[in-house]
Amino acid sequence: MNWPQILLNSAVTGSLYLISAISLTLVYGLAKFPNFAHAEIMSLGGFIGFWISEQLGAPLPVAFLVAFIVAGLAGFLSYRLIFKPLSDKGASLIHLMVASMALGFILRHTEGQIWGFAPLTFQKIVWPSWELGSVHITLDWILLIVTAICIGIALHFMMTRTKIGKAIRATASNPKLALSSGINTTRVLVITWFVSAGLAGIAGLFRGVETRVSPYLGWDILLPTFAVAMLGGIGSFYGAMVAAVIIGLAENIGVVLLAQAGLSTDYRMAIPFVILIAVLIFRPQGLAKAFRGN
Amino acid sequence: MDLILVYVLNALVYVGIFSIVALSLNAEYGYTGLASFGKVAYFMIGAYSFAILVEAGVPWPLAIGLAAVIAAFFGLLVSLPAIRLREDYLAIVTLTFGEILRIFIKAEDWLANGVWGISVPPSFATGNFSKQLIINIILVGAILVVCYFFMRLLANSPFGRIMRALRDDETAADAIGKNRIKYKAQVFMIGSAMAGVGGALFANFIGYITPDSFLPIITFTIWMMVILGGPGSNIGVIVGAAAVQLFERGTIILKDYIHLPVDPTNVQNILFGLIIIVILMYRPGGLFKESKVNTLGTRRAMRWLNPSSK
Repeated sequence: MNWPQILLNSAVTGSLYLISAISLTLVYGLAKFPNFAHAEIMSLGGFIGFWISEQLGAPLPVAFLVAFIVAGLAGFLSYRLIFKPLSDKGASLIHLMVASMALGFILRHTEGQIWGFAPLTFQKIVWPSWELGSVHITLDWILLIVTAICIGIALHFMMTRTKIGKAIRATASNPKLALSSGINTTRVLVITWFVSAGLAGIAGLFRGVETRVSPYLGWDILLPTFAVAMLGGIGSFYGAMVAAVIIGLAENIGVVLLAQAGLSTDYRMAIPFVILIAVLIFRPQGLAKAFRGN
Repeated sequence: MDLILVYVLNALVYVGIFSIVALSLNAEYGYTGLASFGKVAYFMIGAYSFAILVEAGVPWPLAIGLAAVIAAFFGLLVSLPAIRLREDYLAIVTLTFGEILRIFIKAEDWLANGVWGISVPPSFATGNFSKQLIINIILVGAILVVCYFFMRLLANSPFGRIMRALRDDETAADAIGKNRIKYKAQVFMIGSAMAGVGGALFANFIGYITPDSFLPIITFTIWMMVILGGPGSNIGVIVGAAAVQLFERGTIILKDYIHLPVDPTNVQNILFGLIIIVILMYRPGGLFKESKVNTLGTRRAMRWLNPSSK
C-alpha cells in the first residue's frame, strides 16, 4: 500500500466531508432536524460557481464568494419561507424532514431545468500538479485542505470568542432559556441558516471542481455527510472534525482493501454507512461527549 | 385495443400497486409515527426476490409470498439498530439502506445481472397483450382489496390501538407496559412485507427491472401519497396514491405528445414539492381525516352514550 498517498487522499476526502458536515450539523443542532435539502444547496453552490467561473469567466475566488452568498441566501429563504412557519405551527420532526425533502426536490428539479441533468465539467482551470516521490498532489487538493482547516479555525473562534457564537450555543442547548435571557433566537437561527447553507455551497463547489457538477452532486455526498455528522455527534462541531478524519481514512483505506479483496470499488460509498450503522448500534450519541471537555 | 384505453388500464395497475405500498407506509407512519425513508428498498427487495424466485422455477403465487417474507426479514434487520433512537435516526438509516442496496445490486453481477437488470418471466403467458393487462388489473386489484381490509382490521384491533398509542404518546405506551421496540419492529416488518408484495406485483407487471428503477424518488412519491391523502386514513392514502400516480402518468403522456419549452417531469416534481410543503403548512392532516376506531365495542359504547343516533 502506498500509505503517503492514502493519507493525502484521506485528508482530501475528509476535508470535503468536514465542510459539508459542519454546515449540516450547525443547523441540525439548532433547528433539531436533518435538513435533506442540504444536498441540493450543495449542488446549487456547484452550479453557481460553474456559472460564474466557466460561463461568465470570472476568477475562481469570486466564484466561491458568490456561491457562498447565493447558497446562503437559499438557506435563509428556506428558513424564512418554509421551516420557520412550519416550526411556528408546531410541525413534528417527521413533517420537517418531509418538508426538507420536498424543498430538495424543488431545488433539484429547478437546477435540472436551468442547467440540465447532464454533468458539467470545469474546463477553464488547469490545476498544477506535482509528484513528490510516490505521492501525486494537485493544487486544488491543497486549497481544499487549507480551506477546511481555515473554516474549522474560524468557526472555533466564532463559537468561543464572539457574542453570536455564544448565542448559537445557548440556543442550541436550550432555546427557551436562551430566549428568556434576552437572546434573539430568530436572529440566531437566521444567521446560522445563512452561514450553514453558504458553507454547503462552498463544499458543493469544491466537489464540483474535483469531479463534475450536476443536480445529483449533493445527493452523492449527502449520506457520507450524515455519517460524519452522526459519528461526531449531532450539533458537535469538534466531533465532526474528528469524524471527518475517521471517515476519510476509512473510505480511502477501504477502497484499497476492497480492490485487494476483488470486490467492486463501488462499495466505497457503502463504507461510511457501515460505520454509521455501527455508530448507531454502539454509540448513538456520537463522539461528541468525548470532545466536549466537561 | 384503443391506445387511450391502454393508457388508462396501465395507470390503473400502477395505482393499485402504489396504493398497496402507500398503505404499508400508512401502517408505519400514519398509525405508528415511524419515519421510513427507505420505502423504495423494500419495494426493490420484493421486486428482485420475485424476479429471481420465478426465474428459479418457483410458482408465482408462492414467489409473491416469499417476496413479502424476505422484505419483512430485511425490514426487521434494518430497523433494529435505529428503532430505539429518535425518528431522524430511523429516517437516515432506512434511507441509507436503500442506497446501499442499490449499490449492492449494481456491483454484484452474479446475483441479478448488475446494472443491466433482469427480465421477469411472465407469470401467465397468454400471448395476448390486452388479456395480460386485464389479468394484471384483477390480480393487483384483488391483492389491494386484501391489503385494505387487512389494514382496516389491523387499525381497529388492539394491536392498532398500540400503534396509535406509540405514535401519540410513546412514554404513556411504555408506562402501560407495552414493549415499544417489539411493537415498532413488528409494524416495520408488516410495512416492509406489504411493500415487498407491491414490489413483486410491480416486477411482474413491467417484466423488466434494473437497479435504476428503484431510485429514492419513489420513496418521496410514496410519502407524498400518504401526506396528501391523510396519514391514518386508509381510504385517504389510496386516493392519494391514485392522485399522484395519475399525475405522473399524465406527465408521461404529455411528454410523448406535446412539445413544451420546459421538461414536464421537472415541472411535475417542482409541483410535487410545492404541494407537499403547502399541505404540511395548511392542512397537515391531509385531505382525509384519520378514521375513528370502529369496532363492535366502540359502536355499542357510542349507542349507549348517545341513544338518539340509532
